[in-house]
Amino acid sequence: MEKTKDYRLYLAFVVFFLILLPVGNLLGFVSTNTISLWGRYFCFAIVALGVDLIWGYTGILSMCQAFFFCLGGYAVAMHIVSAGAAASGGSGVPDFMTWNQVDTLPFFWVPFQSFGLAILLGLLIPAAFAFVFGYFIFRSRIKGVYMAIITQALALAMWLLFLRNETMLGGTNGLTDFKNLLGLSLSSGNVKLGMYVLSLLVLCGAYFLSKKLVGSKFGKVLQAIRDSESRTSYTAYRVLDYKLAIFMISALLAALAGMLYAPQTGIITPGRMDVKASVEMVMWVALGGRGKLKGAILGALTVNFLYSICTSLFPDSWLFILGFLFVITVLYFDKGFLGALEMLGAKFRKNKPAARPVAETETLQS
Amino acid sequence: MNYTIKVWAGIALCLLMGKNAAAQSDSIGILISQVLDPPHDSARSMALHKLVALRDASSFPFLGAVNDKKIYVREGKPVTTGEETGEDSGIFPLYNLYPENTPVTDASGKPVAAEAGSLQKVDISRTDRLSLGPVLAYLNLANPDPKKRIIAYGQLLTTSDSSKMNILAEALQLEKDKDALTAGKEILFQMKLNASLSETEAQAYIDSLDSNWGENVTNILQDYAASAKLPAAKAYAAGKVTALETLQSRIEKAQNLFSGISLGSILILIALGLAIVYGLAGIINMAHGEFMMIGAYATFCMQSLFIDTLGINSDMFFFVSLPVSFLIAGVFGLILEKLVIRHLYSRPLESLLATWGVSLILVQLARSIFGDLTAVKAPSFLAGGWQVMPHLILPFNRLFIIGLTIVVVSLTYLMLYRSRLGIRIRAVTQNRSMSSCLGVETRKVDAITFFLGSGLAGLAGCAMTLIGNVVPDMGQTYIVDSFLVVVTGGVGKIAGAIVSGLGIGFLTKVLESFYEAVYGKVLILALIIIFLQFKPRGLFPDKGRIAED
Amino acid sequence: MLLSVQDLSVSFGGVHALNLSHFTLRDKELRVIIGPNGAGKSTFLDILCGKTKPDSGKVLFNETPVLGKTEVEIANLGIGRKFQKPSVFPSLTVYDNMLLAFKMKKSILASLFFKPTEEIDTRIREVAVKVGLITELKKVAGELSHGQKQWLEIAIVVLQDPKLMLIDEPAAGMSDEETEKTGELLMQLARHHGIIVIEHDMKFVEQIAKELVTVLVRGKLLVEGSFDEIRNDQRVIDSYLGRANVQLENF
Repeated sequence: MEKTKDYRLYLAFVVFFLILLPVGNLLGFVSTNTISLWGRYFCFAIVALGVDLIWGYTGILSMCQAFFFCLGGYAVAMHIVSAGAAASGGSGVPDFMTWNQVDTLPFFWVPFQSFGLAILLGLLIPAAFAFVFGYFIFRSRIKGVYMAIITQALALAMWLLFLRNETMLGGTNGLTDFKNLLGLSLSSGNVKLGMYVLSLLVLCGAYFLSKKLVGSKFGKVLQAIRDSESRTSYTAYRVLDYKLAIFMISALLAALAGMLYAPQTGIITPGRMDVKASVEMVMWVALGGRGKLKGAILGALTVNFLYSICTSLFPDSWLFILGFLFVITVLYFDKGFLGALEMLGAKFRKNKPAARPVAETETLQS
Repeated sequence: MNYTIKVWAGIALCLLMGKNAAAQSDSIGILISQVLDPPHDSARSMALHKLVALRDASSFPFLGAVNDKKIYVREGKPVTTGEETGEDSGIFPLYNLYPENTPVTDASGKPVAAEAGSLQKVDISRTDRLSLGPVLAYLNLANPDPKKRIIAYGQLLTTSDSSKMNILAEALQLEKDKDALTAGKEILFQMKLNASLSETEAQAYIDSLDSNWGENVTNILQDYAASAKLPAAKAYAAGKVTALETLQSRIEKAQNLFSGISLGSILILIALGLAIVYGLAGIINMAHGEFMMIGAYATFCMQSLFIDTLGINSDMFFFVSLPVSFLIAGVFGLILEKLVIRHLYSRPLESLLATWGVSLILVQLARSIFGDLTAVKAPSFLAGGWQVMPHLILPFNRLFIIGLTIVVVSLTYLMLYRSRLGIRIRAVTQNRSMSSCLGVETRKVDAITFFLGSGLAGLAGCAMTLIGNVVPDMGQTYIVDSFLVVVTGGVGKIAGAIVSGLGIGFLTKVLESFYEAVYGKVLILALIIIFLQFKPRGLFPDKGRIAED
Repeated sequence: MLLSVQDLSVSFGGVHALNLSHFTLRDKELRVIIGPNGAGKSTFLDILCGKTKPDSGKVLFNETPVLGKTEVEIANLGIGRKFQKPSVFPSLTVYDNMLLAFKMKKSILASLFFKPTEEIDTRIREVAVKVGLITELKKVAGELSHGQKQWLEIAIVVLQDPKLMLIDEPAAGMSDEETEKTGELLMQLARHHGIIVIEHDMKFVEQIAKELVTVLVRGKLLVEGSFDEIRNDQRVIDSYLGRANVQLENF
């Protein structure tokens, strides 16, 4: 029964997003703006899957996912910008560098002129970063809150680094002025629709792979680590390996999302990777319902959708709304929107009051 | 030609006779009154020409004001205006120009200020002003602003007038500002050194330059050592340069040490509350930085209350602000504890997320109430600094923060280790359920601790107004750093917070002096991670079997 | 010798928690360690399983040095540990708890491509019957009673198939009937495994201590002997008496 319900949900999701919206766009009912907005939400949902894998399932709170997201985003952006500069003739040096009196392309930009290498590096660099950083953190058994704080400090340090002009990544302004990707004009409506569909497909792929992962014995070990790290190692599992693997997987998901995100927005700036951005990514998952992959996607989509609505309707109060949502979710809806929905569903089905609220059982434990 | 020689001879004579020669002063006074109120058309330009020709230092303030078109007459005497008091106030302080260059005072001796429009202005034609050309380089020597005088001294170097040394010496005799005097003497000695023809004379001036110890002394001596023709003096200058450079690098180190300590004290002030709360209740309070912000805004409000509402224009507000910011931030903390935190004890990750939400709300609240940027005026007694030696000045505001930190840390220590409340707090920190069995009201202890922790942050915020602007997201600048302090120090350890706060503050400043600030930060993070490889539980870990569970 | 320990010492903040000059265990021996609170019993097991690093000493397990190895390496050598406070995976099902424990390759790749087999399933059910959890296999471990969690943890240790089991207070929080069942289980296990049991409940000790009992007091080995010898040893009685320990009434 659970299975058929799942399939119905998948079907509804696919019909709505993969058929109704694109067809509506082609017929002119749905604006290209809406399409590209949802395309970006799907990218956020991919990040959220990664956050859920590492936090929801493994219990490691990583607060630097936005940094990995931006590494992916910058990789693609660097390709678009450098390829654009090469195509326009001249020295092949992007405009912003010329303004900073740099007249040869820095060595680390060179590989990004090739699309294949850019994609490869966009995945390799975050993975390598997660590996090295994670190795030292997990090796010394930094966990829980310490992990959250250290990763937050990493996000802060990297953000500051990207803000600098001499890192040759555009400083505060980031990279922008994207024109073509693989010869396709990024401003055309059809390309935008294509990016939307691509993001959706990648999201679906990421979801099913994550689901497989979580259902495998590997996934059970992850949950075992979350439950009792010491018991896991006394049961002869090398916790360090598993933690590193899932940290890298979540970094890769974030980077992948960043790669899809940058061309759709047309700009990538360090603002996307500050401490706040990472915490927000965690909050999508907390709000949607952590420990459930569907919850992560639901959270990312709804929070960002809400954000778009609120910032246009009442721009000043968005932070209030988000802040209250944080507090109330953590206090009263431990299981997030998904948990609340399920509770509501149970209430309707049984036609009697739902189970007592979570919060009361979760009060002070010594 | 003949005339010029005569005038120069006259000037030389006058200088020899000293500037107080009565006849001279009188004639300048008469000439000035002729400029202000010329008896006939050509009298003003004639008087000006004569004043220029005289090149007397006492007339420079007046001529300077003429050149600046800021010449007014008040009670028959020439006056000029200084820097506007406050922005766009239209009120200017007044200065006498002759015979003395002093602020204008009323009968009771208070300085007088006036609106520009209310003064009787004397208009001087452009042609007349152009006649000041030959003495332009000297006019600012008497400028009321010491900074402008320093610039004027410097400009003399490029003037070709051969009497510049005498005029400079003359001007320096009137110089009262310490910095300007040092700068002026440096110029004078430099000129004399460059003009010296004998070894002994040159070495004497090198010594003078050295003991005067002005801003550019190293450069001057370096240049001299590179280009002079006197071999012994050249070597002597080179030796002095080396000595000065060593001294300077030592001073730089001292300065770094000091700024490291002062940054460390701020971190300690913030981290202290965090460490206590985290140790006691396992709460990671991301809104802690916002309590600091609340403290800063409380200080700002006290300033507005005192100065704008009550009209008490004194530094009193700051002393009142210290306890008030503590109380207000503490009360906010208490409210937060009652509404949110108490549901989250011993769930650090959840508390981290919920308090992050709270911090968003508080920042936005501050933004909608106060706007984006407000500044608290530092109390005047904290302006300036303690000059330990030339070129080593420790600013009073930083010293104050260090002092405040020492006092606060000592009080916190006494509270925790010498009071009944402290015993309870430590008991709950170590074993909550056992304390509660022994009759400690843990809820109450939690609330009080949270109040104290938030209050400490508020106090830190009050101190922060001394060195920076008050902005809604000021807390977020420090929160990550202060969490690093807590992590490095070990959970809930005051000693840990102090040692690691000082260590991180100090290292940051030292690394910043070698690298850019940003790379310093990256390095600090790397160092902390390496440190945690060896001491994963911080500097002062709990020991024993239970601690490892 | 399955296990031999020499001059093992560890101190926490200046207090000697353990100072054990000599300790040996034969293969397939069931040894009970008793002693008043703070005698260093749990610390001893903590050192054996790699949880606590001693200050000095030598521990040989099947002639292989144990100290300095990680928990995983020690577990792979064949030492399994059951803690005083039940340590299971509360959000996984009882079956999954046991599946994770089952002795097999435990690398990442092996876990990723793991396929359940008939053999594993049979073995898990066999053990589940032994510990009385056969009807609870689908339940989430967090919902088990305290006693059931203890058994689940024993099952986890059994499925690892270690040569040496370190069992810390298995009977705590169990009814008399459950305690007796646990005792029978341990004696059955002792036919194939070396076992060290820490226990306070003297009735339980009497049930299982068919061989040697070791008494630890203040980190030191006080006496070693059969249960009857220990029961009548004046030093043992004194050490319990001197501390006015509650276990006295069991003597």
